Amino acid sequence: MEELSDEIVMQKVAAGNLDLLKVLFDRHHRHVYNFLYKMSGDKMLSEDLTQDVFYKIIKYRSSYKNGSFVAWLFTIARNDLKTHFTRVHKNHEDIDAVDYKKVENQEDRSEEHSHLQNALNKLDATDRELVILNRFQEIRYNELAEITGSTPGAIKTRMSRALKKLKRIYLENI
Amino acid sequence: MENNHVTKLLPEYLDNTLSKEDKEKVRKHIADCIQCKLEHDEMNILFKAFENEPISVPTESLTAKFDKALQQEKMETSKVIPISSEKKKIGWASNMLKVAASIALLVASFQMGRFLQQEKSNEDIAILLDETLQVKQTAMLSLMENQSASKRIQGVNYIEEFPNPDEAIVKALANRLLHDENDNVRLNAFEALSRFATSPTVKQAFIEALDIEKNPSIQIAIIQSLVKIQEKKAAAPMKKLLEQEDTQPFVRNEIELALPKII
Repeated sequence: MEELSDEIVMQKVAAGNLDLLKVLFDRHHRHVYNFLYKMSGDKMLSEDLTQDVFYKIIKYRSSYKNGSFVAWLFTIARNDLKTHFTRVHKNHEDIDAVDYKKVENQEDRSEEHSHLQNALNKLDATDRELVILNRFQEIRYNELAEITGSTPGAIKTRMSRALKKLKRIYLENI
Repeated sequence: MENNHVTKLLPEYLDNTLSKEDKEKVRKHIADCIQCKLEHDEMNILFKAFENEPISVPTESLTAKFDKALQQEKMETSKVIPISSEKKKIGWASNMLKVAASIALLVASFQMGRFLQQEKSNEDIAILLDETLQVKQTAMLSLMENQSASKRIQGVNYIEEFPNPDEAIVKALANRLLHDENDNVRLNAFEALSRFATSPTVKQAFIEALDIEKNPSIQIAIIQSLVKIQEKKAAAPMKKLLEQEDTQPFVRNEIELALPKII
């Protein structure tokens, strides 16, 4: 099973071979969890959301449309996170702003975060998301473009700027 | 950003995902440009920090919960019976079979109806024929009782309509043969009966008639008929006729010829 690509495995799952979902879960659940954890800084929440992401994959497996599986997976994860924050904060502020504040609040409380994590938390939510997905989950520009609904070129430029900004923040506080 | 600087390419340079030319370009530029060299070193520190960032691992319960959800989903899906894809494949053939079956059914029921109809009309005709025969028999029997000799002959001649006359008709004819006062009626009755000479009733009637018959032509006809069927019982009345004085000579002659044939 290991040599099959995510896309082929997912196609088989969509065709009814549910057992193969276990393969995809084993391959990716840590990445999803880490993405959510880096974004939210909340272990329990990240675990719940990770579980929810894979529930959704089980449920909506037939709606998979042969694109990049990783892109699809993180699109679901992103939407889950956004939905969660809009639900938690009843006041309907801008989603990204809400996201950002949430992490900032947590930073004050817990000192256990790494220096890099603290620097990441100071980035815009959109920039942070890009950096986390690209650096930690090794998601390529093409897939990032797919996830965010942008073009690879634009992603590349944004990534470069975001990294520069992050570097400045990181080195300032070192 | 300045034209010649390579800051934009640095992340990819550090990731080692640049093309050979670009990589070479960045390498050369860094060697010359202090600004970009600094940028490169700083970015390198940041990237090292990314590498050293601990990866948190979710608890085991996440996997367990996922397995449980997957099993549940499998149970639920196995209850669903997929029919969509196969149904289409057999559609054409089974439709043709259905059409063929309905045509066959139509033809079969049509033939069946026709057959039953025919049988019923055959039955009706048989009943009608039977009824006509009965009417004729009644007519025949009543005609034979008529006062007029010609009517009685007509009644006797009706026998030709009956291929297998029943006992009542035979008896009535025998009655005519034995008791009718008119010679012609008796002769006709004899002729009618002679067709059924093998019947015991007819034989008996002939023998009795031979006893009482006075008309020589009828006597001769009866004798010839009895000889033909080799009736042994006829010998006695024939001998009696021989002994009788009023027997015509040619009748006597006929009996003398006939007797040896019977015995």
